[in-house]
Amino acid sequence: MSITATRMLARDWRGGELGVLVMALVLAVGVVSGISAFTTRLQNALVQESHRFLAADTVVSSGSALPQESLQEAQQRGLRHALTLSFPSMVYAGEDTMSLASIKAVSDGYPLRGELTYSPAPFGAVFAARAGPGRGEVWLESRLFPLLQVAVGDKITIGEADFIVAAAARTEPDLAASFSNYAARVLMHYDDIPTTGIVQPGSRVEYRQLYAGPPQALESFTRWLKPRLQDGQTIVNVDEGQPGIGSALSRAESFLLLAGSLAVVLAGVAVALAARRFSERHHDYVAIIKSLGATSGAVNRLYGSSLLLLGCAATVLGCLLGWALQAAFFALFAERLPVQPGASGIRPYMIGAATSLTCLLCFAWPPLRRLGQASPLRVLRRDLPLEQRRAIGDYVLGLAAVTLLMWWYSRDWKLTLAVLAGLAVTAAMGFVLALTLLRGGRLVGMSAGSIWRLALAGLQRRGVANALQVVIFAMAIMMLLILMLVRTSLIDEWQAQLPVDAPNHFMINIAPEDLQAIEQVLRSEQIPTEAFYPMIRGRIMSVNVEALSGTDDVQEERRQRETNFTWSDALPTDNRLVAGQWWAPGTDEALVSLEEDFADRLGIVVGDTVEFLVGSQPLQARVASIRQLQWQSMRPNFFLIFPPRLLAPYPATFMTSFHLAASNKEFLNHFIRRFPTVTVIEMDIVMEQIRSIINQVTAAINLVLVVILAAGGLVLVAGVQASVDARMHESAILRALGAPRRLILGGLLIEFAALGLCAGLLATVAAELSVYILQTRVMDMHYAPTPWIWPLGMLSGAFLIGGLGVFCCRKVVSTSPLSVLREL
Amino acid sequence: MIKCDNLQKRVPMAGAELEILKGITLEIKSGESVAIIGASGSGKSTLLGLLAGLDVASAGMVTLNGTELGALDEDGRARFRARHVGFVFQSFQLLPALTALENVMLPLELQGHSNVAEQAEHYLRRVELGARMKHYPLQLSGGEQQRVALARAFAARPAILFADEPTGNLDTRTGERIIDLLFELNREEGTTLVLVTHDQALADRCQRRLRMDAGALVTE
Repeated sequence: MSITATRMLARDWRGGELGVLVMALVLAVGVVSGISAFTTRLQNALVQESHRFLAADTVVSSGSALPQESLQEAQQRGLRHALTLSFPSMVYAGEDTMSLASIKAVSDGYPLRGELTYSPAPFGAVFAARAGPGRGEVWLESRLFPLLQVAVGDKITIGEADFIVAAAARTEPDLAASFSNYAARVLMHYDDIPTTGIVQPGSRVEYRQLYAGPPQALESFTRWLKPRLQDGQTIVNVDEGQPGIGSALSRAESFLLLAGSLAVVLAGVAVALAARRFSERHHDYVAIIKSLGATSGAVNRLYGSSLLLLGCAATVLGCLLGWALQAAFFALFAERLPVQPGASGIRPYMIGAATSLTCLLCFAWPPLRRLGQASPLRVLRRDLPLEQRRAIGDYVLGLAAVTLLMWWYSRDWKLTLAVLAGLAVTAAMGFVLALTLLRGGRLVGMSAGSIWRLALAGLQRRGVANALQVVIFAMAIMMLLILMLVRTSLIDEWQAQLPVDAPNHFMINIAPEDLQAIEQVLRSEQIPTEAFYPMIRGRIMSVNVEALSGTDDVQEERRQRETNFTWSDALPTDNRLVAGQWWAPGTDEALVSLEEDFADRLGIVVGDTVEFLVGSQPLQARVASIRQLQWQSMRPNFFLIFPPRLLAPYPATFMTSFHLAASNKEFLNHFIRRFPTVTVIEMDIVMEQIRSIINQVTAAINLVLVVILAAGGLVLVAGVQASVDARMHESAILRALGAPRRLILGGLLIEFAALGLCAGLLATVAAELSVYILQTRVMDMHYAPTPWIWPLGMLSGAFLIGGLGVFCCRKVVSTSPLSVLREL
Repeated sequence: MIKCDNLQKRVPMAGAELEILKGITLEIKSGESVAIIGASGSGKSTLLGLLAGLDVASAGMVTLNGTELGALDEDGRARFRARHVGFVFQSFQLLPALTALENVMLPLELQGHSNVAEQAEHYLRRVELGARMKHYPLQLSGGEQQRVALARAFAARPAILFADEPTGNLDTRTGERIIDLLFELNREEGTTLVLVTHDQALADRCQRRLRMDAGALVTE
């Protein structure tokens, strides 16, 4: 056949027939590759950012000295390395003043990632350090200055060596990793360790080897390292380094993958709708060329090669658009992202190309393939219906394609199936409900005015087509609602965990006799505190008379362990009972309430009898309840809570948490001087670090939402356009008969708005269901119904579809009916 | 040239079968011009569709140029049409995305001709549209569109030309001009012409008239 596909494409392009299909394909590829590149780069950036919390890319930790061999191997592979050693020790200033401190010795080059900061004076202005303390120097955490009664330039002693206090240590990138360490920080040089004479075989120390470098070198090094690790040597990853950040990142990643997956579905639907319209509009075209002698094979070859050419062009354009989109995001929001985005690699564009190919084969080709079967008799009889028999096969093919693409994109079956479940519910229930609603509308419309009668009759006349259209609109709206709901609850949950006034300091070791005075000081300084919790150190010994193992091996779950007990008559805020019942206030019974994971590890259930050792005295209690805690709430949390009367005889200290504004930090200096036995733990800087990451992820999520909204908008436009021809035809006839502009536009507005209202209702039901599954089964979040989504879903459906419908049909009242009829 | 024997067409309608053509038998000689006339719904266009191989009969057979159309599948009939048949339709059936010239080139391209543009230009000039070759159908009047359709029909030099109400969408004067052109070209090319019309004057210009009523030939 000498009609080349390129000539036909050029002709169709000139005729404006290809615009929607090409735009749908370009946008499909653009959105998918753009989001994919964006999220990949963002994830790389976030991973990089999160490496700050390790002060490296990879860390090996051990309780005993680590082999030098690993360092040499890492150097050969082009990796940088640094060493740290942490241990508790007494620090002396003169003969009488001393304090327990958490010593951290760091080698040259530390930190490999992130920033080390210091202040020239305690609690003073913060500066970034180029290197850690030099040989013979130490940096003390601010609260140690009043405790030791020293100033910068004074001398302190650690073990057998003297050091000059050079600065106040403020933050280390991997500070969060040592949150459990209550003692104040002292930073020193790694090479000074031997002079102290403190670290001996068997000392309680943590050695760390820090590595950083190119990802490939790191990967090969980790592969080399893993089989050589000995007992007690572990590789620390980001999640272990900082659980709060790990969970935020993982949920953000789930969200971004969900968004990307929905983009794939939206793109597929948009292409399918555009191809179907293209096919319908080409039916007469094919009938004419078939009447002139073109065979079915020739028609298929013609459209097949056209589609291939179109696909190639759209893929290239789409990838360019995708690249431009992600570049624009980063350019626009560069200031809000504190880290440089990493490279995206070729995968996002491969996903874009695969999306294009899949969209062409599974969504665009089936309706075009049917063109080959078009009857040439249509040149004589335009009323001949289009071939629809294989449409169900097309839907199955499309569904399979969407499923595979979503899985390929997200690599998460649960996520894929949750979205598909929502889509299936919308499609199945939606079709039936839409038909019923539309028919009900017709009955109402019988008694209404002419505009309503016209609109509702139109809705009923094209009942099945309209029901299908409602399902498509509903799917698009549903996906947008899902994203909005998940985004909102994700961000709400993060913000709820870390509100601006969240407690950012902990106070422990408060003696009972200091309690009143401390309360008074805090009150007079107008520092709001949480309740003061009693703290008693105890050891869990046996469960149901069965003694637990006395080993120190952390791998052993059912072992004796030491922990903090508290007492309370009321269930603390943020705690949730998952089993059993809370005791009556003032009870005399020997009861205990356990944290869920703690109970699981020891295999304890409600009703079990547990024996403890407090000091040297045994204590027995029955498990009354199991609780779930919010560890990221920054409030004091306890594994074990007893009724007050049971613990009253034992000696206790108290703890609390409070919020202290940055401008009020000087208060700590005076406070620590007045209550030297109390330990104050500063969490404000760590919390700022976490907050900065969460803000960054939130900005990314909002950006992705905007892109998906655009993709959803495209589906709505394609969906409206799919039915515009028939409506334009009828409206042009009405116009020719003298119907006023108001009647025609009013009728169209009501018709499309009614479709949008139905779609919005269905979308809301399906979105609530999908969000429930996603939040409870995939993203590990709490689900709460969202009443505001109902009016939003329905009204936005009615306004959007109504507005778009009238916009797409506006030509019918602005041009002559004859031109409209000739064009259709 | 065209023979049909006991040609029948039935279509299912509301659970029953509606008989549109009730056993048509006729013969049209090569070079002859024949008008099929009759009221709306008498089955004229259905007969034309079957004679041209655009549709398949429920019973009976059609032979064109010695080829029995019923023995060919859809693609076989398409190839046959490309070689032997031309059409002129009441609603012109030009492709809106193509210019006048490209519309005329289309059947030539389907037949694999070379110099298609040259031949198409020749026929467009023949129908006095030499100055409108680059115009799209929507930029042409009804009469001009039908002239493009005539050029397209004759450009492929078909042995048989089927015309379905060729003046049905045109005013009387334009219609007359189109008919003059149709018969002129028909004479020049020696084509067999089968024409469906309501218009008695147009039918009278044909060598023979076949009248249809309720799916049957009533006079010949």
